[in-house]
Amino acid sequence: MAEMWLNMGPQHPFTHGLWNLRVKLDGETIVDADPIVGYLHRGWEKLAENRMYPQIIPMADRLCYGASMSWEHLYCNTIENMMELEVPDRAKYIRTIVLEAQRIGSHLMWLAALGTDLGSYTIFLYSVRERELFLDLMQNLCGARMTYNYCRIGGVRNDVPANFERDFDRVLTHFLNRMNDLESLMDRSSVFRLRMEDTGVISGEQARNLGVTGPNLRGSGVEYDVRKDDPYEVYGDLDFRTCFEKEGDSFARYRVRMDEMRESCNIIRQAIKRMPKGPYRLKPPRNAPKGKTGWAHVEDPRGEGFMYVIGNGDDHPYRLKVRSPIFVTVSAAPVMLIGYKIADVPAIMGSVDMCLGETDR
Amino acid sequence: MSLYSFAYGLALWICEVIAWVFNTIGATGIGGWLVTPGVVEFLQIIIVALIVFIVGFLVSITFIWEERKVLGRLMDRRGTQVGFLGLFQNFADGLKAFIKEIIIPKDVDKWVYDAAPVILIGISCFMIGLIPWGPDFYLANLTNGVLLVFAAFSIAPFAILIGGWASNNKYTVMGGMRAAGQLISYEVPLLLSVASVVVLSGSLNFLVIVQQQQDSVWYIFPLIIGFIVFIVALIAEIERIPFDLPEAEAELVEGWMTEYGGMRFGLVMLAEYVRAYVACSIAVLLFLGGWSGPSFIWPEVWFLLKVFLLFAFFIWVRGALLRVTTKQILGIGWKRLMPLALVNLGIAIALRMTGVF
Amino acid sequence: MAEKKQKKGKRPRAIMWDPMVVVARETVRHTIHSPNTVLYPWERLVIADGFRGRPGLVLDKCIGCGICKRICPTTCIEMVEIELPGKGKVDRPKLNLGRCMMCGYCAEYCPKNAMLVTPEYELAAYSRKDLIYDPFKLQYEDRPGCEVDIIEVKISEAKSGIIGTNIKTGENIRDYPQADDKKCIGCSKCEKVCPAGAVEMYEKGKNEKGKPIRRPKFDPAKCVSCEQCVDNCPKECISMVEVK
Repeated sequence: MAEMWLNMGPQHPFTHGLWNLRVKLDGETIVDADPIVGYLHRGWEKLAENRMYPQIIPMADRLCYGASMSWEHLYCNTIENMMELEVPDRAKYIRTIVLEAQRIGSHLMWLAALGTDLGSYTIFLYSVRERELFLDLMQNLCGARMTYNYCRIGGVRNDVPANFERDFDRVLTHFLNRMNDLESLMDRSSVFRLRMEDTGVISGEQARNLGVTGPNLRGSGVEYDVRKDDPYEVYGDLDFRTCFEKEGDSFARYRVRMDEMRESCNIIRQAIKRMPKGPYRLKPPRNAPKGKTGWAHVEDPRGEGFMYVIGNGDDHPYRLKVRSPIFVTVSAAPVMLIGYKIADVPAIMGSVDMCLGETDR
Repeated sequence: MSLYSFAYGLALWICEVIAWVFNTIGATGIGGWLVTPGVVEFLQIIIVALIVFIVGFLVSITFIWEERKVLGRLMDRRGTQVGFLGLFQNFADGLKAFIKEIIIPKDVDKWVYDAAPVILIGISCFMIGLIPWGPDFYLANLTNGVLLVFAAFSIAPFAILIGGWASNNKYTVMGGMRAAGQLISYEVPLLLSVASVVVLSGSLNFLVIVQQQQDSVWYIFPLIIGFIVFIVALIAEIERIPFDLPEAEAELVEGWMTEYGGMRFGLVMLAEYVRAYVACSIAVLLFLGGWSGPSFIWPEVWFLLKVFLLFAFFIWVRGALLRVTTKQILGIGWKRLMPLALVNLGIAIALRMTGVF
Repeated sequence: MAEKKQKKGKRPRAIMWDPMVVVARETVRHTIHSPNTVLYPWERLVIADGFRGRPGLVLDKCIGCGICKRICPTTCIEMVEIELPGKGKVDRPKLNLGRCMMCGYCAEYCPKNAMLVTPEYELAAYSRKDLIYDPFKLQYEDRPGCEVDIIEVKISEAKSGIIGTNIKTGENIRDYPQADDKKCIGCSKCEKVCPAGAVEMYEKGKNEKGKPIRRPKFDPAKCVSCEQCVDNCPKECISMVEVK
């Protein structure tokens, strides 16, 4: 068969969001790939220029709705760095706990999407069932299940509810038991390994040069984690390890995320034990001086997120810039796809964990 | 009382009633002709065919219900809830397929596009009639029953290929070719396993095979490798997960069925489940002893029970495993199943030659 | 990690058995305990206290300050004039539920806790017009779990050990306005628009024609930081003083 360009998307039961992946096929082999994003562009950065600083926090939620707390926290960190605010300790611990719970939730959502792409709805339903527990925890905390609006500039919105420790303890114990089940559904299934091993290989050098970060980079052997290399909140005081694998194929990226979920449980347990009492919300200044800049970077579940703000002298920002990790990883997609068959595309792009909200902003 | 004798009695009664009507109004010629054995036998065959077809059809539809409920339980959810225990869902789906608008894309090859689902459902319904349910409940007792069923089974790749090609769509062409490749390459281990059963029993007649299994042992025990090969090849033939790639939703939308809408799609889905029913029935007849079992339950009920249990096993396999890619499907078909099927055939020939069977 | 993978790589034969065992075990578990499905609408999920459904209004408490309108990120609240018995014509919020994103800011920043977060989430309507809730439709019964409080600590007191002051009821925590003496013309517009009665005009001497010069005096304890005076001053001479 001659070479042809095939459009996978924008309307496609491929899950993951609204984007178009054009692949050039020679029979069944991919010889070229051309991802097209931008269907979900909402003008976020421009909208942010017309709003007061507290009003942007619910908008930051919707940057990546699968991991909303992470982006809220990134935005609040940016503004706090610009205004040079020192967040109270209790707020830092609460934020860390909530961020790690959000990381587990986001990885479970990734696992669910991967299951449907590969054809197993069982994995999807089991992961989503476990995610419900974490959503219930967040609902007890701040009243919403998906877009939380919980972090504030200078702390968090409200204090933890009663039974916080008991609920978290129960959920984490139950979840670690279920992880064993989930892993045996996938790790020890030869079909899963057949599909994921030796597909989508990207070497550490290539990933670094292309700017890939997060679990996608750690799956290729590079040990870079913002929580360890440039600690923020209380990560500097907690004891955890960076999860990484050496092979660089889809299975390695999958393993990195499963290990990260276990490490997150570990982090949450430590943080709950060490949480001090005290204030949890600081009264932020209204205005930021004209020309003052601030930036922050965090380890988002999908990579390294980065935000940069320039103040305007009043209570609107002059410019707010967002660097989304998946936007950069999409440009690495051709490297991961060329040479493999078209039936491998869901496995590869599923292991990369696309979230279109943050890509297109 | 066998099905044919019951149908003969019914046909005779109907013919006599109609003949009485004609005799009363005075047309004794037609009335006399109607009770001749030729006409009654003709009506008898039609009644038997109707009964067998309707029963087989209803069982296929019940397969859909069983799949949804059992799969739901596997995945920690309830299956369909429409109607009593969810049984009404099939009719709701059928009604929905009926009332949808039929959209035909512009540049399709009209005759071929129309012919593909017709061939598929026609072949599947033809196969329903060839499956005997009990020693007295069958439509046709052919000496070459097994051969004819598998011949009809193998026309499906042809229908899928022309359906995919005629739809004028890149995705469906790829889906059709993949499906044809998969189905054709799994025919070989399938037929080799069947050949081993035929070697052991010495006949191609379903009734004789089941009778032999009742006399000796179910053929699953000496031919366990053949059974496993047969089951895997069967899952690939009826296109279920894990061998689902021709209809893989994640990549090719619906595969070769993408451009079929409304009742055409309903017929194609129905054909899939009818083929699944026929496949499970053949597996039960050839390996699991057909309708043999304790005599306090009717043999037809035993047969149905075994078929449903085997299909539950297929659903279990679907719930637990993922889709396999084309390269791996063909690899499994040729590199792993073929040698095992040949080994199995060797075992069967050895058992037969040494006189054990 | 590599050795662990190789150990698991020694798997059973061609057709995979481990996932099927797991699924079989789970099926038995799901049959003994009923499945995880919530048969909506006959059963419903239990929702937490403080769940952020649609906003609700307690008409008696609202003073018409307009903070909810200022803080809403999607501009879904508008102040409309309605007639209330005993109070005459007053401004109350009207909500466009089609735009609302249930962020809870209106309830959080409302100084009198008149806006609430309600646990109502079944909000479907047949037309876009039905989604616009006027103040009467927006009402909801006042319950303690539906009110949202802000307990902030000032930057100056952050290390002193206090947890924080409730912004809505505390003292010396809210920003209050002050007027620029040179620009003020004494029109007393700020006194008329203040919803909380925190502005009082006092006399500050007489001008050359013998008429009294009036200047506003702001009471920080009563002020709710709604900034109506800032918006309505014709000479734009009022600015807010931040309490740090």
